[in-house]
Amino acid sequence: MIFLIQYDRSSGRIVKMQTFKNSERQKANNSRLAIELELNQQCIEHEVVLLEAENEAALRKTHRRYFEDLRELTKSLAGSL
Amino acid sequence: MAEISKTQIDRLGERLKESIISDDDLRLLDNYRRSFAEGYEITVDKIRKKLGLNPTGRPAKSTASIIDKLRRESIRLTQMQDIAGCRIVVPDITRQDHVVTIIKDYFDNVRVVDRRENPSYGYRAVHLIIKCSGKIIEVQVRTSLQHLWAEISEKISDKDPMVKYGGGNKKIVAFLDRLSKLFYNTDLNEYKAAALTLENNLPQELRRGFEEYHAKAISLKEQAVELCTEIRVELEKDTGGLNDFLDSI
Repeated sequence: MIFLIQYDRSSGRIVKMQTFKNSERQKANNSRLAIELELNQQCIEHEVVLLEAENEAALRKTHRRYFEDLRELTKSLAGSL
Repeated sequence: MAEISKTQIDRLGERLKESIISDDDLRLLDNYRRSFAEGYEITVDKIRKKLGLNPTGRPAKSTASIIDKLRRESIRLTQMQDIAGCRIVVPDITRQDHVVTIIKDYFDNVRVVDRRENPSYGYRAVHLIIKCSGKIIEVQVRTSLQHLWAEISEKISDKDPMVKYGGGNKKIVAFLDRLSKLFYNTDLNEYKAAALTLENNLPQELRRGFEEYHAKAISLKEQAVELCTEIRVELEKDTGGLNDFLDSI
């Protein structure tokens, strides 16, 4: 599954997330470019990234920063003890 | 897609360092990133299907991250080794070594960058730089603790990118440095304990060694939890600089 994430670094939050099938890589790339062009015209600095994972749970494990805040990240360690 | 020359790409990199980015430059950057598609697909596909691993792929580095890197480092765009790649997170060093070995043995053209003992500003991991279809593909292999550290560091760097490279808020930099060392030593003690459990009929002396390493790993992890709690308390009580700095992260 392909995930297209628009992330606002200043607020630390996802603005928009779209999913695509693995066979839609071209479409996902085109959507990424379209978002980047639109943001550039509006002078908005967001991070736009494409990621591919088996499912959302796998993505949330390898790219936690997009989904969790600093408090959640630092608290999660206690749970592993 | 027309072939883009190295000179064109490096000139693009120079322009991206400037504050105003044109739509044409975004399109050119997009074309350049798409040129990694074949190498990326072959590499990640082999890692998934032939090696049975489950990486999260990132077919193209984000524009924001490319610009940050160009502005931060004296590097040309064509020299950037992490335009496309993937990430694998494993529980511990034993499995990290195993994954690194099987990837290294499977691919023909691989360079291993081991940043575990000598981290880069606290960042520890093993990266495999694979050349495929004429492109460089980066595979990151991290233990859970190395990964947690990197995520915390990235999250803080969303607000102040310099923190990730040893600059910015000194309290935060010291926190990240201490946390990186605690995580490293936790991983190392767990690794030593795991190595001993491989022995059959562990003699009493080795059993004691296992217990000591295991206890040390738990104690280090507890210290890391305390450190994380300290920084959270600091964040919550401080209505001045630190909290303002980190507010909403």
